Amino acid sequence: MSRQRTMEKILSSEYVSIGELVRITGCRYSTLKFYTEEGMLPFDQQEENLTRRFPREKAIQKIEEIQALKKNGLSIPEIKRVLSE
Amino acid sequence: MELTFAQSFSLIALNAQDSIHLTTAKKAALRCMSAAVILELYLDKQFNVNSEDLTFTKEDLSNPSIDLYQESILKIILGRNDSISDTLSNYLSHVIKLSNKQLKEIERTLADSLKGIDALEEIPNLLGCDLEFKTAGVSIKEYRSNGELYTKITEGLRAEILEDSVMTDEAILMLWLMRESGSIYDIFSKEELKIVADRINQLFEGNSFARQIFSINIHKSIEIAVKNFLNIKKSIMSTQIGTGVNFAFPFFERSQSIFIDTEAMFENKEERLRDVKARLEQYGHTFTVIREGEVPLIKIDNFLYEAIPTAMNYQFPVQGVRLRRYPIY
Repeated sequence: MSRQRTMEKILSSEYVSIGELVRITGCRYSTLKFYTEEGMLPFDQQEENLTRRFPREKAIQKIEEIQALKKNGLSIPEIKRVLSE
Repeated sequence: MELTFAQSFSLIALNAQDSIHLTTAKKAALRCMSAAVILELYLDKQFNVNSEDLTFTKEDLSNPSIDLYQESILKIILGRNDSISDTLSNYLSHVIKLSNKQLKEIERTLADSLKGIDALEEIPNLLGCDLEFKTAGVSIKEYRSNGELYTKITEGLRAEILEDSVMTDEAILMLWLMRESGSIYDIFSKEELKIVADRINQLFEGNSFARQIFSINIHKSIEIAVKNFLNIKKSIMSTQIGTGVNFAFPFFERSQSIFIDTEAMFENKEERLRDVKARLEQYGHTFTVIREGEVPLIKIDNFLYEAIPTAMNYQFPVQGVRLRRYPIY
């Protein structure tokens, strides 16, 4: 049996899954998937299983940064450029 | 705020359901909500397990960790017996036999548990904004789930199901409950449903717990027949701006097709949208305009609607806008 982790456990762990990142931030799954595929969110991928895991603190920080830049009217290519600087 | 498993499913199942009448769709949802409570007790190890049999006694009801909504289901299952011992599958089968009175009791306890934490509220039904309902003074009420919680739960589930990773027991059970209640169509697009079907097949082959669960059917044939009929209706017709019979014959499925009269004839798109927003505000609906233009896209109470300019022919034509559920595929 593989149980869902409680929010308390998620918030104290170093790495989280994309589903858990959705639960923490309230962002849409498709949005986070897009950010991941565009290389805007840092993640690790273990070789034996292809599950992506995200460093919780860094990923949340990046999402907040992206959201702030979006609010300021920046397009995705512009946000990508700012993030890579 | 962290909801329990049964509360999370109820938040999805009750959203936009008629809160006063026991409709066919709500009956299917309530049966599945009852099943969610049984599964929650199973996940939380509240049953005494002996081989495949799960036992529950009347004395166990006094356990302080048992919630009020859990108690109401267990009392129904126990009936006049002092204890009950059965397989999980048979426990779940009990929900098929629940009477209307019992379903209403389950609705009350679960809805109250959600209302108490501001996760659910009762609002006037969107249909009340319709010209005919408005002028007739008919009021209908529906449930609206807290938008932020609804998004967190549904998007978290979508991530777990669509992502190629190990699914938790909660996600497997939630997927089964959504399949049985029909709410799976509210959350996944037509394309995504193909991935979901593959996922169910994978689970069926590789996960013994999932195989046990997905073999159980708790829906009633008549309820599924109604649901399938509605699905067939949706697939009958496809136009450039939408899919469904509603578009041509809106009276078929009024709950998904609302006519809002606008103030003047030949209004421009901004004025039309302003009138629609004013009507929605007047009836206490939460909405966000996602896209403006000739056919605006508006998110109303967690669902997407297109506002299609049209006219109704009474003794004289009435200009207005038809709100139509926007297909997510």
